[in-house]
Amino acid sequence: MCGIAGFLDKTGERSSVGSVMLEMLSALGRRGPDSAGVAVYGPATDGQIKLRIKAGENGIPEGRTERIAARAAILAQVIGSEVAGDYLRLVVRYDGPIETLEHAIEDIAPDIEIISAGHSLELVKQVGSPQRLDATYRVRSFTGTHAIGHTRLSTESRVDLSHSQPFYAHGALDIATAHNGHITNYHKLRRQYEMRGIRFYTENDSEIIGLYLKERMMQGLDFEAALYASMRDFDGSFSYIAATQDQIGFVKDAFGLKPLMLVETPEYVAMATEEQALCAVFGQGVQAREPAPGVVRVWRVPVSPETVGKKVAA
Amino acid sequence: MSAIQCEGKTIREINRAIRHLIAEGAREIRLSNPSARHNFAVGLVAPAHLTIEGSVGYYCAGMMDGPTISILGSAGWGVGEGMMDGLLVIEGNAGNGAAASIRGGTVVIKGDAAARTAIALKGGTVIVGGNVGYMSGFMMQKGTLIVCGDAGDGLGDSMYEGNIFIAGGISELGHDAEIREPSPEDLAMIATYLDRYAIQHPGAFKKVVSARRLWNFDKREWTLWKNAL
Repeated sequence: MCGIAGFLDKTGERSSVGSVMLEMLSALGRRGPDSAGVAVYGPATDGQIKLRIKAGENGIPEGRTERIAARAAILAQVIGSEVAGDYLRLVVRYDGPIETLEHAIEDIAPDIEIISAGHSLELVKQVGSPQRLDATYRVRSFTGTHAIGHTRLSTESRVDLSHSQPFYAHGALDIATAHNGHITNYHKLRRQYEMRGIRFYTENDSEIIGLYLKERMMQGLDFEAALYASMRDFDGSFSYIAATQDQIGFVKDAFGLKPLMLVETPEYVAMATEEQALCAVFGQGVQAREPAPGVVRVWRVPVSPETVGKKVAA
Repeated sequence: MSAIQCEGKTIREINRAIRHLIAEGAREIRLSNPSARHNFAVGLVAPAHLTIEGSVGYYCAGMMDGPTISILGSAGWGVGEGMMDGLLVIEGNAGNGAAASIRGGTVVIKGDAAARTAIALKGGTVIVGGNVGYMSGFMMQKGTLIVCGDAGDGLGDSMYEGNIFIAGGISELGHDAEIREPSPEDLAMIATYLDRYAIQHPGAFKKVVSARRLWNFDKREWTLWKNAL
């Protein structure tokens, strides 16, 4: 029993998605008190990649952030660096394969993990409540076009930062997923992935969703087709929300075993495990519906005039 | 008329307040700002009329015996589950497992109802103004399900007894369920219910009942058994 939520501002404006997500996750908090996280898609600057790196857990070891920054500087041009909570956030210019940079940083120590990498994606998660997440990372101040979030009730794997959700699909810029349910053929799929050399960072079955989408999209499927394919390839119960830099969508398993409520207006799309999360943000009169079992929906993030202007200028 | 403002109160406090008002003789109670929270008005046994001014979460009005409950919005999973008697009217849609295992009373859903509506029905009447999801009426043993819209897969699968009336399409009829012509009495009964709850009459109804081939095991019908859900 976890809580998931997603939000898209259809006007293409960079709105206060952080604050919307925090309110939805707070309303879902009792479904999953173990950990909380949000993945927000903020403004992108051409050529820049934002890395959120777990530099430690419950405190960063002495000299660790400097070592990571120095290692990153060998491969990339580091143009920004700040520490918040257990994270080191680096802004870099980098043109090579993202996996090369990720592995170079993660090779420093086994407890270092790239929590997110992307042109837009900023992912923060940690053990504890959504309120605690806001206290550590000021989630309310995050702006962007869309976001996904998660509150976790751990059932099978440990409770720590890495096992929290949303998951970034390591090696696939800007792809993040938030899942409620169980992928029951996870162990079998994981063995197949590992035989192909794909690394798993956790023992959380939800981690496989992002890796699956990444692989399908590398094979040439578009985002929506990859979501559809996952419904066939995953067994078990799942409602999950996934996002890329310019799309957000959800998948409901063929039996509808996990809830997900949806509200769509001309201004926004919002989805959450329970309607009370939608009521908390959009009021009592919100016209929410539960999508039927086996349904996949994808929305494209509209390109705002501001973004177009920037691209032309660049 | 008594009123309970839900904001800032826990569900336990709200349900206690409902019982307290009824014990003091209140017969008309309105709940405002329900915020789609869970477990409202569970286990009510007094003949009062409760109006919930908005949408509710899971298991609202479960196990009730006697009251009338109106939900002016939509309901989440398991609404009215295990009801013994009374009337539950939902103006909007209902989630999975609406009116599951009820033994008596009437549940009216004016919008759509999701999967497993009226599953394991043991009596009472369930009226849905819109569509129902898959496995509705699964293993029903008694009672009546009236659907004005369409049904998903497995309608009436493995039903023992009881009647399903449906006006729209059936995406797949369940195992051991069969379609019959409704009798004039059946149609009169349906018309009475639809008029009473102001649901537009959709036209011709089909009747779905148990074919009773699963009542006794017969190894010559192994395929039927193997495929039953």
